[in-house]
Amino acid sequence: MSEPAPILSVRSVSKSFGAVRALDRASFDVLPGEVVALAGDNGAGKSTIIKAISGVISRDGGDILLDGKSVAFATPHEARDSGIETIYQDLSLADNLSIGANIFLGREPMRRAFGFLPVLDRRKMAEAARETMARLDFHVDRLDAPVAAFSGGQRQAVAIGRAIFWNARIVIMDEPTAALGVPEQRKVMSLIRSLKAEGKGVIFISHNLRDIFDVADRIVVFRRGENAGERRPAETTSDEIVRLMVGK
Amino acid sequence: MDRRSMMKFAGAAGAVAGLGALTSPARAAGKVTIALIPGLTADGFYVTMHKGAIAAAQALGVDLIYQGAAEWNVALEVPVLEAVVAKKPAAILIAPNDKQQLIAPLKKAFDAGIQIVCVDTFIGTGVFQTGSGDADFPVSYVASDNVLGGKMAAAALGKAIGGKGKVYVANVKPGISTTDQREQGFKEGMKAFPGAQVLETQFNDDDANKAAAQFQAVLGRAPDLAGVFGANLFSASGAANGAKQAGVAGKVKIAGFDAPESIVAQLKDGTFEMTIAQHPAEIGYFGLVAAYAKVTGNPVPTAIGTGFTVMTKANIDDPNVKKFLYSSK
Amino acid sequence: MTTAAVPAPSARISPLAQVARLRAWLFLILLAATFEVWTRIANGASFVLSVYNLQAIAIFASAPLMLGLGQTFVIISAGIDLSLGFVMGLASVVAAHAANFGLARLGMGPAEAALFGIAVGVLATVPAGLVNGWLIAVLKVPPFIGTLGMYGVSRGAAYLLAAGMTVAVNDDWYGAIGNGRLGPFPVLVLLTAVACVALHYVLSQTRFGQHVYAMGASKAAASRAGIDVRRLTMKIYLLSAVMGGVAGALYTGRFSAGAPQAGEPLLLDSIAAVVIGGASLFGGSGTIWGTVAGAFVIAVIQYGLVLVDVEPFWQFIAVGGIIIVSVLVDQTQRRFLGGRVDE
Repeated sequence: MSEPAPILSVRSVSKSFGAVRALDRASFDVLPGEVVALAGDNGAGKSTIIKAISGVISRDGGDILLDGKSVAFATPHEARDSGIETIYQDLSLADNLSIGANIFLGREPMRRAFGFLPVLDRRKMAEAARETMARLDFHVDRLDAPVAAFSGGQRQAVAIGRAIFWNARIVIMDEPTAALGVPEQRKVMSLIRSLKAEGKGVIFISHNLRDIFDVADRIVVFRRGENAGERRPAETTSDEIVRLMVGK
Repeated sequence: MDRRSMMKFAGAAGAVAGLGALTSPARAAGKVTIALIPGLTADGFYVTMHKGAIAAAQALGVDLIYQGAAEWNVALEVPVLEAVVAKKPAAILIAPNDKQQLIAPLKKAFDAGIQIVCVDTFIGTGVFQTGSGDADFPVSYVASDNVLGGKMAAAALGKAIGGKGKVYVANVKPGISTTDQREQGFKEGMKAFPGAQVLETQFNDDDANKAAAQFQAVLGRAPDLAGVFGANLFSASGAANGAKQAGVAGKVKIAGFDAPESIVAQLKDGTFEMTIAQHPAEIGYFGLVAAYAKVTGNPVPTAIGTGFTVMTKANIDDPNVKKFLYSSK
Repeated sequence: MTTAAVPAPSARISPLAQVARLRAWLFLILLAATFEVWTRIANGASFVLSVYNLQAIAIFASAPLMLGLGQTFVIISAGIDLSLGFVMGLASVVAAHAANFGLARLGMGPAEAALFGIAVGVLATVPAGLVNGWLIAVLKVPPFIGTLGMYGVSRGAAYLLAAGMTVAVNDDWYGAIGNGRLGPFPVLVLLTAVACVALHYVLSQTRFGQHVYAMGASKAAASRAGIDVRRLTMKIYLLSAVMGGVAGALYTGRFSAGAPQAGEPLLLDSIAAVVIGGASLFGGSGTIWGTVAGAFVIAVIQYGLVLVDVEPFWQFIAVGGIIIVSVLVDQTQRRFLGGRVDE
């Protein structure tokens, strides 16, 4: 084994909703600094496996290992506290707040004004925002502007920035480019590379095979809740991935 | 409606109540049921009116139904009316929430054989049993003569300010028959004081806070302001508070209308110079007696005006005055 | 920017947005200037440089402002609290009864009884606030409906407790809280000013305030960031009810009587103050100082038009016009910002 130990291991995880078997012994690993793309048609189980990892739903069988230890998160907050951050399509940002306030949302730093009055430490938030965004090659001139003033790709960067600021080790990105124009999609691709450079594990879900080939280290294909194959982009073609997805 | 018809009728009512001399077909068939529908339930004025009706009902052996809506709103009053009609009372006393919109629902009740008496407010023109128009079917209109009330306020306030200086009417909003009539009566009454000038009326939407600010603004423009007639409780207490905030309490005389128990302290400490108390219990009492008389086949005047009492610091402890405070007990 | 993969954001707050944020203060200045000229011509006196006018306007603005302060939090969180219309009256009646009880039965002096009345009156609003929060946060009832229900319940409770009348209080201390002065400053105005400063601090400088903004922008975002949105909702409606309680308890002192309908005519003015002050009914924006300006805009129009002896009905038109302009400015600003998102 020359590869480092995986941060996250999904082992034979199954999940049924009533009579529907949404996941059937699904397995894959995520290594540090690796981008794993999950591919599959609608209903292949991509969303279900993400929810099982991030604590939105519980699994029926199998195991999920974080740093080799079995974990079962009851809530998304538990998952986040353990370093698994999920960035949803709608970004989960408060549009009316600044980048710093979004990074710290729910965990705002306080300071004492006049030595006794607790107040929000806006300077600290702004500094953290500046530094974090710089790590993503994103240089902000107006730290007090609400994120609504930024473009879609820039807002993705804020969501990702929040994840890296809080030392997420696994970042799950669900269709991060779906709502974006082509230039913005490029920006997001470069953000994912930044995450990789930070040594994070990235789980990347997309319908767009070009994006997958562009950024993924490994492609895990699902079909009807089961593993349908695993390929490295350099060793496969989009035709093969599609064949795996549709099962022909 | 004039005072004499009321006095005459009061005598007749006494006979009815005291002697029970009239043989009534309704009574032969069992107890007479009469309903009272107030303009709104949550109001001291109607609470007191209800008590007057209870007193008359007990004296006459009538079953009294009391049902009303929580607020002044035709859309709420009509369903209450319909529910009451379904109980088939012999007569309904009602304070209609609107002059026009209650005509049809009340006509329906009347056509079903129920006698209608309007109390406090009226439908149509308020002139009944004329044989013309579509709203003359109610038996009688029993209410304070609000024009007279306004005149009494003018007479008392005019005297209190020595017959000179500026005054204005603090009113709720235009279009309410009772408060409009008070304002009209007040302005007529003030003509007896040629040295006094009546300024433009201020409407406050029944908001004492606004009435207070309006007082201060009027005083700001007319420092020789001598008195204010508040056409209802909140108009008057708002103006009085404005006087207090402006430091002219007692100097600018405030005349109020209506008499909840809280008025006593305000008369005594000079917040109010006077207040005009209606006699809502009389409205309830005479309304019920009129309805009963009609049901039992006796003649009834088509309009009954009830009186007023001018309450001041000087007379408020007199039991004959004090008894006209609106009381919930 | 030579090495940046992501270009620098060009996020600027446009001049239009700046104007929009300060619109209430601009309205206020414009109004003051207009009335200054007008009163000099009509009355031969200054409008702004008159202590008398300023005191009257400040007192006038205090009552709707007190309601508007709590309402600001509610509206920023994308809610609305209609129950304030009668929660205030309920507090007013309860405060009157409690002060009387303190005087008559508990042997309290006037000062103690006044404070006791205020405390009990304010406490009486706590259940209303909690039920509002519970309906909205737990049962997912839309705020408009939930608080309308509580509007009715508080109304009934207030009228029952007052037996359909007003409840007189004879307590000089209580009266002094409502009508007294400290130097040139009416006590009522000072108390309102303290409430403004305190709630400005809470809204702009605490986690609670920050979370209110976040919730107004996106409940999902707030929740995913680990904020307990249910608890937050309960707190917001509790704060609003308590501010209604303070307004009601002060009303009782000012008018020497508790009145069930004390707040009803103030409700819409208080919401108008928040909206004129720059808050959006869609949630996410608004400030305490904006609401202060909004309340003063309304008070100045209504006071000023009486002072210069204008036909009373123009007041409605003037206030209505300013609300419409405020909402239009808000809409324009939204469209403007909205256009940048997917540039």
